[in-house]
Amino acid sequence: MSAYQSEFAAIMVVLVIGFLPNEVWRVLGVLFGRGIDEEGAWMQWVKAVATALLAAVVARLILIPNGALVALPLWLRLSAVGAGVGGFIALRRSVLAGVLLGEAVLAGGAWWLGVA
Amino acid sequence: MHSSSNSPPTESGRPLLWFLQGMHASISAPGLVLMATFVGFGGLMHDIGFPIVAGVLSTILIWALPAQVILIGGLAAGASLPALAIAVCLSGVRLFPMVVSLMPLMRGRRSNIVVELICAHFVAVTLWVEGFRILPGVAREGRPAFTIGIGTGLIGISCAGTLLGFYLTSALPGPLAVALLLVTPISFTILLVRNAKAAVDWLAIGLGAALSPLVANSPGGLDLFWSGVGGGTLAFFAMRLWKRRRA
Repeated sequence: MSAYQSEFAAIMVVLVIGFLPNEVWRVLGVLFGRGIDEEGAWMQWVKAVATALLAAVVARLILIPNGALVALPLWLRLSAVGAGVGGFIALRRSVLAGVLLGEAVLAGGAWWLGVA
Repeated sequence: MHSSSNSPPTESGRPLLWFLQGMHASISAPGLVLMATFVGFGGLMHDIGFPIVAGVLSTILIWALPAQVILIGGLAAGASLPALAIAVCLSGVRLFPMVVSLMPLMRGRRSNIVVELICAHFVAVTLWVEGFRILPGVAREGRPAFTIGIGTGLIGISCAGTLLGFYLTSALPGPLAVALLLVTPISFTILLVRNAKAAVDWLAIGLGAALSPLVANSPGGLDLFWSGVGGGTLAFFAMRLWKRRRA
């Protein structure tokens, strides 16, 4: 937990661990973008890994949170996310509507339980 | 929705006007969703104690919320820095095909490597989707300045959201402050569902999510490696095998 506590260390982390490994793909896209097969096996593997990575991070935030979310029971966290996805599908696939519905369920549940 | 397409300055050499029109186009429904997700990100940052200047810098420089969430969430979970750099790098690969496919629309009349690199920095999901929608209606010579304008506008909106979320968490009443922390997981789950088209996508989502709690606190801070790289690779090979069986 201490790697990012000082502002300077956090800025270095953002630059070296965040900016550089991410930006390299944009630069490569400009330099070597022409004639890449987007449907090739290599690209498909990369897409699958990127998707799984994101899902893993999100699942971790929901299932094993480490901040104020701990105060909420797991079922409420899961219902809020479920309501968000349900709202997205039901309400003309609007991301904003889904987020708002999920948030309403969460805030309502937290208020009702009297936690946080 | 935007006035940008029907008021083209005829002479070249008016990049400022194109830039401003691009900024104007960033004030839109996708811009609003972006703001909401960055409010959530700001709240998350506050919750784990990540400093605000570095956080806003991450929005400007990384400019890819998945990478930012992987970075901040990983730090909070105690991941090792090299493992995090690899995770961020892998999550950024999707930017490559985005830049490649959007570049012909952003480039303008003459190709200029510096301008192209600047335009490419703004490419993330929102600009990619909005670019395909708006840029064809923008006169060719104005496209680089317009792209930089809309990108700057979107990053500005997102920085405002990051700041707002960070300082809002401590000012909001309990239930709302907690709700703020779940904006990121909810919106990302929705985006995963929205972007999942093929069976391999669903399998990757399922395996990544299912492996994540199982490998939590792996030695060496390698949680993300096992769940992300492991889950994605498993999904990839499972689908290849399944397709081969059927063929």
